[in-house]
Amino acid sequence: MKKAWIIGLNNFKESLRKKTLYILLVVAFVVIGASKAFSFLTAEEELKMIKDVSFSCIDFFGALIAIFISLTSISNEIEKRTIYTLFSKPITRQNFFVGKFIGVILILLLNFVLMSIFFIGLLIFKKSPPDIQIFKTLLLIFTKLVLIGGITLTIATFASDAFNLIFSIFLYIIGHLTTYGNQIADRTENVILKGFWKILYTIVPNYENFNIRDKVVLGTEVSWNYIFRVSIYGLLYLGVVLLIGSYFIQKREI
Amino acid sequence: MGIIEVKELTKYYILGRNKIVIGLENVSFNVEEGEIYGILGPNGSGKTTCLKLLLGILYPTSGDISILGKNQFDIEMKKNIGFLPENPYYYDYLTGPELLKFYGKLFELPDKVINERIEKLLFLVKLHDARKLALRHYSKGMLERIGLASSLINDPKILILDEPTTGLDPIGCIETRDLLIQLKKEGKTILLSSHFLSEVERVCDRIAIFHKGYLLTTGTLSELIKKYNADGLEDLFVKTIEEFDKKGVVE
Repeated sequence: MKKAWIIGLNNFKESLRKKTLYILLVVAFVVIGASKAFSFLTAEEELKMIKDVSFSCIDFFGALIAIFISLTSISNEIEKRTIYTLFSKPITRQNFFVGKFIGVILILLLNFVLMSIFFIGLLIFKKSPPDIQIFKTLLLIFTKLVLIGGITLTIATFASDAFNLIFSIFLYIIGHLTTYGNQIADRTENVILKGFWKILYTIVPNYENFNIRDKVVLGTEVSWNYIFRVSIYGLLYLGVVLLIGSYFIQKREI
Repeated sequence: MGIIEVKELTKYYILGRNKIVIGLENVSFNVEEGEIYGILGPNGSGKTTCLKLLLGILYPTSGDISILGKNQFDIEMKKNIGFLPENPYYYDYLTGPELLKFYGKLFELPDKVINERIEKLLFLVKLHDARKLALRHYSKGMLERIGLASSLINDPKILILDEPTTGLDPIGCIETRDLLIQLKKEGKTILLSSHFLSEVERVCDRIAIFHKGYLLTTGTLSELIKKYNADGLEDLFVKTIEEFDKKGVVE
């Protein structure tokens, strides 16, 4: 684990210095900041707008960052051939894979914390300090982002960047639709359609589970029990995905 | 018993459904402790494939590798190996000392030892003045030198060097050659791949000639010159390769 941590920190340091992620971060700040522009609304509506836009923004840009970093994390090592030197050192391929994942989490965490601080700052500026529901929403968004990163990183162990990018975005979209798909499966008489949506609902990560922002924006309280269950779902899914990634990186010819 | 033992090592690359390319075919050789063993061969002869197999970067199709009595994937064994890849590429945004520190930590060396070695190695490869420069600003020769330094950060028993003088100017080549001889005197075993015949001729105790994935011959230079009735290494090299291409003979 110590070696994985060293590799993760190195990944984090490199990403910080590349500065490409800052562009996404700046765009996110601009969008979150722009939510304040709806001053023609009532104070309450404006606050809802700020929360809604900010949550969506942290979620969307966080997902973009998660996909972008995880996508290039392994392929860069192979393309630049730094992986040859790394694999000649006393590390296992699992150390390498877990290390890359730690790197992804650290970069995600930094970006997430910065976006969240900006959002919370905006709320405080609007004289509406964040309550616990805000933090619950943020916690689930971060869990989802880590899951997205883990899935993209796992795909990177066996697929090309182009395939990975398309597949990860596809998963992101489908992952938000599986609940609706399941409802279609329950209602339809068509066996093929029912089977298709049921399989998709079982296999594809249900990202909609992590989405409580609509409820929170409208002031509905979400229980800790729900947060706990969804977090466990995310972590279990992540565990399985990382095991698959670990298997493929072990098998891969470099 | 050699410090490195390679037995009937074969590597096939599978390209597509029905296309198999020979990377290495039934190669066997030993490297003795304290010697400099040179692997010679034209481009695409299997030199780099052989080194990658030894380091556990590639999986062999068949055959056995033993290094210090362990297989090539053994983590403890790898603590005794230093490796310089061909045309080394490193993490662009790190400085030389940061790169050495990163690798040193992977060897689980204490910080004090790492810092001492970084200082020593930067002076050794003459990069102490470039310590604040990110690697993306390094010239090819500087990258080669920081690569050499990184291969020595763990004070290895065995050094595996893939084309160590590529990209170096003539003075850099001479300095590297002298360094290899110095390292040999310190007791290190060096496995060196190169297509620069003069380099190999000057530093290697024994050589192996590879071609198209086959090990054509191996031994001391004087033995091989006598055996093939050759006029120096260049003549030996040409003769063995031509003989193989004509008859497909492998010794």
